[in-house]
Amino acid sequence: MNIQQNMSLMEKLAILSDAAKYDVSCTSSGVDRKGNSKVMGNSTAAGICHSFSADGRCISLLKILFTNECIFNCSYCQNNCNSDVPRASFTPDEVCELTLEFYRRNYIEGLFLSSGILVSPNYTMELIYQTLYKLRIEHHFNGYIHVKSIPGADPALVEKTGFLADRMSINLELPTADSLKKLAPYKSRHTILKPMRQIQNGITQNKNELMIYRKAPRFVPAGQSTQMIIGATPENDYQIISVAESLYDKFELKRVFYSAFVNVTNDSKLPALAGGPPLLREHRLYQADWLLRFYNFKADELLSEDRPDFNIFLDPKCDWAIRHLEYFPVEIHTADYHTLLRVPGIGVKSAQRIVKARRNGRLDFYDLKKIGVILKRALYFITCSGKMMYPTKLEENYICQNLIADKTQIPREIRESGYQQISLFDTGLEENLCISSSAKTALMGF
Amino acid sequence: MYIFVCEDSLDGILTGIYDAWSFKIQHSDLTHDDIRLVSHEPENYELFSEYISVACSLDKAQKVSRTIWQRLGGEFYEAIVKAALSREPSNKKEMDKADAIYKTVVLALRSPEAEKVLLYLGVPCIYRVFTLSRATNMEAHHLMGFLRFSELKNGVLFSTIHPKNHALPILAEHFTDRFPQENFIIFDETRNLAAVHRADKNYMLVDASDLNQDIIHNYSDKEQDFRDLWLTFFDSVAITARINPKLQAQNIPKRYWGDALELAR
Repeated sequence: MNIQQNMSLMEKLAILSDAAKYDVSCTSSGVDRKGNSKVMGNSTAAGICHSFSADGRCISLLKILFTNECIFNCSYCQNNCNSDVPRASFTPDEVCELTLEFYRRNYIEGLFLSSGILVSPNYTMELIYQTLYKLRIEHHFNGYIHVKSIPGADPALVEKTGFLADRMSINLELPTADSLKKLAPYKSRHTILKPMRQIQNGITQNKNELMIYRKAPRFVPAGQSTQMIIGATPENDYQIISVAESLYDKFELKRVFYSAFVNVTNDSKLPALAGGPPLLREHRLYQADWLLRFYNFKADELLSEDRPDFNIFLDPKCDWAIRHLEYFPVEIHTADYHTLLRVPGIGVKSAQRIVKARRNGRLDFYDLKKIGVILKRALYFITCSGKMMYPTKLEENYICQNLIADKTQIPREIRESGYQQISLFDTGLEENLCISSSAKTALMGF
Repeated sequence: MYIFVCEDSLDGILTGIYDAWSFKIQHSDLTHDDIRLVSHEPENYELFSEYISVACSLDKAQKVSRTIWQRLGGEFYEAIVKAALSREPSNKKEMDKADAIYKTVVLALRSPEAEKVLLYLGVPCIYRVFTLSRATNMEAHHLMGFLRFSELKNGVLFSTIHPKNHALPILAEHFTDRFPQENFIIFDETRNLAAVHRADKNYMLVDASDLNQDIIHNYSDKEQDFRDLWLTFFDSVAITARINPKLQAQNIPKRYWGDALELAR
């Protein structure tokens, strides 16, 4: 280990923000809190992005580790105890100063504090708690705070910290217990899920208290989140999305984040990803995640044991729709909200607007466009006053061909930055795409 | 056709609505369709139309805003205000901002369910108000994040912005709630307006044409340190394997880069 003494704040910040960057969650959403004259800061439910770094990801919070010294040896992590990186630790006062001064200048929306395990989980958690205490109580900081709970820390400490933070998270890291055992031997499903359950119970209990006494202190008001690394271990998309679904159902998580694996340690247990991080796969998982949370889809509807991975060429919703043409076409003026939600090209906002706007009179396709419906995707699946937009065939191959011709199916930034190319014919994708030879010809030109 | 030419401001448009309405009452043979509002002097005058110029009056504007507030509700009023604050795009085919607001107000006051009128996006004037207020909203939301304060020698936080729409009042509101104990100034350079906030007071919008350039470039001793710290953070938090300038430019449009410390480099 390379521990340096007397480092400047600048050097520490460089090391400890670099060490924190693979944590994906950087949202400042989920809690609406007005300011008042005694404190500094407020918070809006939608969250606010303050900048976007060179990789195009949002910077909302000051995302740092308290320390990158660590006694664990998780092989995917660049801060594991065997890796040769410069080490540094903040003091609670330094974290407070950075947060407050950055916040005043409107660089950030709040603090994201995670940490390597210094000495022991309890010791580290205690330091994190002290930092939050100073920020909230001594400096009257009322902005957003997202804090990582350290696996294996004392539940009492986790609870104390939860009353000071807006969001807490414990990383699931890998989708299955086996993978976790292989790559992160000091962590276990037990030490991850136990505090997750504790926070969930804390939130439920706190809600009951708030019903009785409105001014009761709030426990993790923005809920908890977690993240999984995608592509470091052999799990398929079906397994991953099923895990996410059960986290939402059984642990009432606000968000599950997916992080395309970047090999930073070159450990022999990890795959070398020649095509760069699996960005398209990450993108498809996020699309499916939205379908689970806002569109009432179930993991089983999107994927199954026989089709365990997402379609590369079509987003999960289009993919579902062309396999379930029996539900379509849907009539805009009579279909209920949940049916509208299932139409490709109609999102939550446009479905809500349709339901409200159609009370005033009949809508036509031009109105739908104004409302925000993406007609180039929706037109195969909807009728407006009994008519389709163009004469189209309600047939799997025909629609599939046309949808694939739509370039936005693979977002431009992923297309152009060169996502992991998977050749169509060497991974059994033919079955995945479930299309006939005519559509395949169309794909060849893609 | 009678065309009312009003000032391009919230009060100007509200006064225009007042004048147009009372004009219609005086001439009982007219309907609202015979009246149009424009928010700027037309380049070409139309034949067979009478142009009436509206002198902005705070008194009339207040009467109209009170009516809107009381009869149509706060949400409706907010949409109207935000639409009025948005900048008129150069596209001639679009309905004029003032006219869209006028027609929407007329429609809502006549409708039995006023609070739902804004949802009828199929109606052209309502759709126009919707897109205009959304544009203001979006820009204000962007700037809540992208705006940067610098600390001056006298402890005041100072920020310069160049918004397309008149987002300054919304921003001032937001930062007054956020930093009640700070003295801050947000300077809209394109409109030469500044929102000035003193600790524990409400903010004021003032004309900033005689802003002292020396004071606003005289930073506090620690300012440069924190700027450097921020730049360090900004650079090291990006993941090298995922560098993607196009995505970055898509998420933070280039027109904001000049005022954002880390991107103006």
